Amino acid sequence: MFLIAVGLLSLVLVSCSGGAQAVGGWSGTAIDDGVIYAGTRDGRLVAVNSSTRDVLWFFAIVTTSSGGLSCGPTSVAAAIYTTPIVDTDLIYVGTYSGQVLALSTVARSQNLTFPQQRYGEWEWYCPLDGAKSNAIVADLAMSGDALYVASSNGRVYSLDKQFGDLNWESKVLDERHGKLWTSPVIQGDTLYGSTLDGHIYALSAETGELLGWSFEAGAGFASSPVIHGDTLFVGSFDRRLYAIETGSNVSRWRFPEEEPAGNWFWASPIINEGIVYAVCLDGRLYAVEAETGEKEWEFDAGSAIVSSPVLTDNLLVVADESGTVYVFDLSAQFVDEAVPLKTISIGTAVKSSFCAQDGLAYIRGQDNSIYVVDIERGEIVDGWPLSLATEK
Amino acid sequence: MAVWNLIIANPVLNVLVALSHVLGGQFGLAIIALTVIVRLITWPLNKRQLNSTKALQEMQPKIQELQKKYGKNQQKLQQEMMKLYKEAGVNPLGCLWPMLVQFPIWIALYQAIMSALAATPESLLGLAQRLYSWGIVNQAIPLNSSFLGLDLAARGNIVLAIIVGGTMWVQQKMTQAPAVDPRQESTSRIMLLMMPLMFGLLSLSFPAGLGLYWAVSTVIGIITQYFVTGGWGYLKLRSPFQPTAK
Repeated sequence: MFLIAVGLLSLVLVSCSGGAQAVGGWSGTAIDDGVIYAGTRDGRLVAVNSSTRDVLWFFAIVTTSSGGLSCGPTSVAAAIYTTPIVDTDLIYVGTYSGQVLALSTVARSQNLTFPQQRYGEWEWYCPLDGAKSNAIVADLAMSGDALYVASSNGRVYSLDKQFGDLNWESKVLDERHGKLWTSPVIQGDTLYGSTLDGHIYALSAETGELLGWSFEAGAGFASSPVIHGDTLFVGSFDRRLYAIETGSNVSRWRFPEEEPAGNWFWASPIINEGIVYAVCLDGRLYAVEAETGEKEWEFDAGSAIVSSPVLTDNLLVVADESGTVYVFDLSAQFVDEAVPLKTISIGTAVKSSFCAQDGLAYIRGQDNSIYVVDIERGEIVDGWPLSLATEK
Repeated sequence: MAVWNLIIANPVLNVLVALSHVLGGQFGLAIIALTVIVRLITWPLNKRQLNSTKALQEMQPKIQELQKKYGKNQQKLQQEMMKLYKEAGVNPLGCLWPMLVQFPIWIALYQAIMSALAATPESLLGLAQRLYSWGIVNQAIPLNSSFLGLDLAARGNIVLAIIVGGTMWVQQKMTQAPAVDPRQESTSRIMLLMMPLMFGLLSLSFPAGLGLYWAVSTVIGIITQYFVTGGWGYLKLRSPFQPTAK
């Protein structure tokens, strides 16, 4: 028994290590004006020239860790799960340590100390409330002059995107529903948020007040909702995709209606010309009629699909966890839509959301590298690691 | 790892999540229920251990006689005691087996608690790959980590650590036979303190859910020990080598 206890204690000690180790996260890529922005697995935000592949700048986001029983406080890299949002010269990103940062491309390319207020930079800390985590996992949402943040403490915050001032804080969801790991969606003046325990709430985007309508499902919601017209599409832990009309207490449909799918609908679906394209952790891509929930077709990738599909020029790009990228031609008239037009292997797991522009998809693999995939030709054009050693 | 997950880790995880759903979403109650189940499964081994403890207690007068007789000849004393144990069919190391059997369950439970409570996004995503397709299991996600004011996913609960250490000390004291010589006495005393201290510290470092398992498991151990051995064992027994008040 003594040996067992010593063994367990050793495990604790071994697991306690700070410093510059890989911290994880699955921040996706964003592209703007020929520059790719991505959070890395070692806690940095990196800007890369999409043509030359040069790293234009990077910023290491650091936080303080208490270190637990056997470790003292240490500075550690912050894990980044959110995909950066680009808005003119500012890049917004949230971290697992509860920070929201607005980084200026001008200030960062000069490597000035952060934050440079004259360039519009700011940093906001999500408040800690007792033992509740203030981690930010869900993508930030932007609408008008506001940035919306869903936190693991169960609260939604609206920040002034120019100065980082708090517009409002909504505590409506935290008491009963715990952490918010799904991103809110905004339509007009209304913000819709889904909870891990199966609720959808409508809040005023202006004031954060709870609006009259809410929806309760039998199981928790795994994905961030997507709104199309007056219908929200959201994946659930009960292995179904739900279509919920705003203002209604019952779902319009759920897919599959009878036997559930093979796993959770983790990623947000996308909607194109009346068809919902939903990927599932069971490795399948489902094409479902948005109006009726009838299945049009499905494709089995054979490996879990964690990141949302991307649509560009009627080409649907899907990347699975095994590192295979599939391209589907949605305008195909004479070929089967359900058969991939191209299949490309990038050889590393993909969990991050990715972006596409001008026929190229920019995918960050879990090996901390960015891969550029030519969608039409179906080949990897380039790929480079984001490790510190390769950067200037 | 795949075999470990298939045979031990995933069944423990899924049973834990299913129990949580059945017990009204109370993950703490699920841990307690699983503890009882583990105790029932390991009951034959535990019973053997308790019977050994009881037999050792009954042998105390004979052991003390041997101590008086061969106190100055340690080698002879050990030989005679082993002979006595053999005659009575008692294995002094028999208590190790239930512990060894529980060890994989502790590891599986630790993994299950960390996975099921999905403290990190990775663990929530990883959970999807480990859950069975049972509706009862998938509908239970996410689990409620609050139980009697405890956050079962959090570390560093001092009250729970004291409970774990305290109950473990009581259980150890009930089973630990008095030493046969002063040297052994000091080792026994250190062991009696070290183990509860060690588990108390471990409870601080691991998620509170595991501490809850240890505490409940130890309390069940004390209760069964009390009834099977017919009392508090060596808890009230004073060491012959401890100084007495004059």
